[in-house]
Amino acid sequence: MNTFKRTIAVVALLSGFLWACGESSTTEPAPDDDSKDRKAVLTHLADEIILPAYANFKPKLETMIAKSQAFSAKPDATTLSEFRQAWVDAYTEWQKVELFDVGPANKTGIRNYYNIYPTNVTGINDYMADPSVNLEVASSYDKQGFPALDYLINGVGATDAQIVAYYTASVEGPKRLAYIKRITDHMNALITKVIADWNGSYRTEFTTKTGLDIGSPMGELVNGYVLHYERYIRSGKFGIPSGAMLNGVVASDKVEGFYKKDISKILAQTAHQAAVDFFNGKSVKTGTNGAGFKTYLDALGAKDSATGKTLSETINAQFDIANQKINGLKPNFFEEVKTNNAAMVQVYTEMQKAVRMLKVDMTSAMSIVITYTDNDGD
Amino acid sequence: MMEIREVKTTSAAPLAVFRIVFGAMIFLSVIRFWYQGWIKSLYIDPKYFFPFYGLEFIKPWGEYTYILFVICACCALMLALGMFYRIASIGLFFSFTYIELMDKSTYLNHYYFVSLVCLMLVFLPAQVYFSVDAYRNKNLLSDAIPVWCLSSLRLFVGLLYFFAGLAKVNSDWLLLAQPLKIWLPAKNDLPIIGFLFNYSWIPFVFSWFGCLYDLLIPFLLWNAKTRLWAYGAVVVFHGLTAILFPIGMFPYVMMVTALVFFSGEFHQKIISQIGKWLQLPATFLYPNRIYAYSPTTQRILLLGFGGFFCWQLLMPFRYWLYPGELFWTEEGYRFSWRVMLMEKAGYAQFTVLDKEGRREVVNNQQFLTPLQEKMMSTQPDMLLHYAHILRDFYHQRGYNNPQVYVDSYVTLNGRMGKPLVKPTTNLAQEEESFKPKKWITSFDDTITGF
Repeated sequence: MNTFKRTIAVVALLSGFLWACGESSTTEPAPDDDSKDRKAVLTHLADEIILPAYANFKPKLETMIAKSQAFSAKPDATTLSEFRQAWVDAYTEWQKVELFDVGPANKTGIRNYYNIYPTNVTGINDYMADPSVNLEVASSYDKQGFPALDYLINGVGATDAQIVAYYTASVEGPKRLAYIKRITDHMNALITKVIADWNGSYRTEFTTKTGLDIGSPMGELVNGYVLHYERYIRSGKFGIPSGAMLNGVVASDKVEGFYKKDISKILAQTAHQAAVDFFNGKSVKTGTNGAGFKTYLDALGAKDSATGKTLSETINAQFDIANQKINGLKPNFFEEVKTNNAAMVQVYTEMQKAVRMLKVDMTSAMSIVITYTDNDGD
Repeated sequence: MMEIREVKTTSAAPLAVFRIVFGAMIFLSVIRFWYQGWIKSLYIDPKYFFPFYGLEFIKPWGEYTYILFVICACCALMLALGMFYRIASIGLFFSFTYIELMDKSTYLNHYYFVSLVCLMLVFLPAQVYFSVDAYRNKNLLSDAIPVWCLSSLRLFVGLLYFFAGLAKVNSDWLLLAQPLKIWLPAKNDLPIIGFLFNYSWIPFVFSWFGCLYDLLIPFLLWNAKTRLWAYGAVVVFHGLTAILFPIGMFPYVMMVTALVFFSGEFHQKIISQIGKWLQLPATFLYPNRIYAYSPTTQRILLLGFGGFFCWQLLMPFRYWLYPGELFWTEEGYRFSWRVMLMEKAGYAQFTVLDKEGRREVVNNQQFLTPLQEKMMSTQPDMLLHYAHILRDFYHQRGYNNPQVYVDSYVTLNGRMGKPLVKPTTNLAQEEESFKPKKWITSFDDTITGF
């Protein structure tokens, strides 16, 4: 009849049990119900999408670099056009990996060095003059990557002959070619590091740390995904050039691929499709859908109680509408902004609806906290 | 001290032990808060704050906010020791409550709970036994106090649980198992129990158990026969919530608070044991004296406590005065022991414009912290307050009579998101008040229950 001691005993016992439950361990076997198993989702996303997509991108970049070297060795119209084509191919392929803003890519901030536009022409000229300038700082973002190359191979002259002449100039030419080498080498170093980190320890971390708290791989992945869709597809490719974001201030010079002009649509289409495919867990290797955000949401039973439609169906339907709106555009967004801007704004509007579903409905259903901060209007 | 015939007395030990652990818990909470850097990130870094309606004068003191927390921590420590008890309890009540009311974004029911307990402690004789004050002042030292002093504390804790349970008697919680249906699968990778959360019936079990637990635990703790097992349930329940949800110190505060239901003998054992370790004299540990208020003081106190409990009984039901769904409008939601009832997430994009053609889509990050933005986007009164911050800011920037509109989108307990504020409302013109907010959209769904 010693209540005091018995209480102590009961509390100690229960605390021990709870402590055991609360201990985070990763050795526990995965639950049988694989549909809600985040390990399965993360493994599929890593092995079937992220790593193969990087593996597809790397050779395209290498080809581009090889073509750039060929151009440097012998600048003429042929080598230029081959370089340019390889640049288009690599830039397009890049759209399929930019969305993986998680782990090594997030840590290196690779997107910032690869695809910040509009590029800064004055800055590029300054950087050419000073080969010692640091390419690893924020102020250098808009002077390198695909947009800088866009200017360097499409924008430095009106004709191919003029562009070739720009590089064959006796004093300045070699410096200009050296700058191309610097920035393409930098791109290569960054992607090599990202892939190496994935193949090193990060894949294990990504697929075994299955929590959803702030900083967890899945939390970071979802945040990065939504951020990419919101800021780099919706805003960057449509909202900002069309003025939909900046209170109607149209900025046709802020389109992606501004100097090449006719590739902005294919870049946007590729990026959007990559985001859609990632949502559906579509394997880059086999083309079939597997575990991903869609299956996870379906397993969680996320649906609109009013219509009974699943959240993933609703999101996919909205993706389709946005896709259709993009398909209706002409290849050259620079022209579209000037002559058909209402259609550009419409894409933004439809994407905005998808953003809300991804950012609010999807993350809420997944119980993931959005930790990145908005900078709409920037 | 005068003795009053009619007043029943009880051991002073439970209240003394409660004073010590409660004070220590708050002290630790403040230290933890400081250590986590939250004083700076929550009360110094933000540019704007969300005060409570009518209490707008309560706001952080800039860099001096640290002083507030120092005062709070010192008072908590003094309360635990029972040193200058009246000053400590009054100081703790005011400093803690002030901190709690500085910004709505950080509102937590357990802060409100702590505030009210501090308020009660100001008037309760928790310092008459096993305290520094009683050690110094033999006229104060007593080991028996009026029964109502202890009962009122137990009643208050009981009310908290009961109302928390009552709030769970609603169709979302019991029939849809929301929001646990969303929150539990997120934890399906926990060792030992994680696999359970893959089963769709588990959230129902947790919901029903949680509801029954809250409703019944006050009675089970009060009854000596069930007390031990009830306390076991307290440990399991709050332990589980501590593992599953990021709710900080609250589970531990409740675990120690529930000890107040244990008998005088139980608490006497704790004190005797500590007394033995500290080699305190028997005259201090067993004074054999009764603490009593003068009849007038006692009458006033009982009247005051009576009023307090009436207020407590009515507050949670004030939402009946408002039309619309409580979870959607949140009118009358706070200060009612509604905990963990909603998974609510949202998105709010503001546009400010004037008649002369100025127009800007607001970047919330320029004005608010991520936490403030998150809270603001789902709570109508905060949306309104923010709209007024924007109105005043853009007025300063030269906008002529700025109009503020919001494109809002909110999901509640897994329902598809929809606008929370009518998009045609110029929020710059709407005034905050306790009246129903007509610019909140209708919920178009029904959640039945409390």
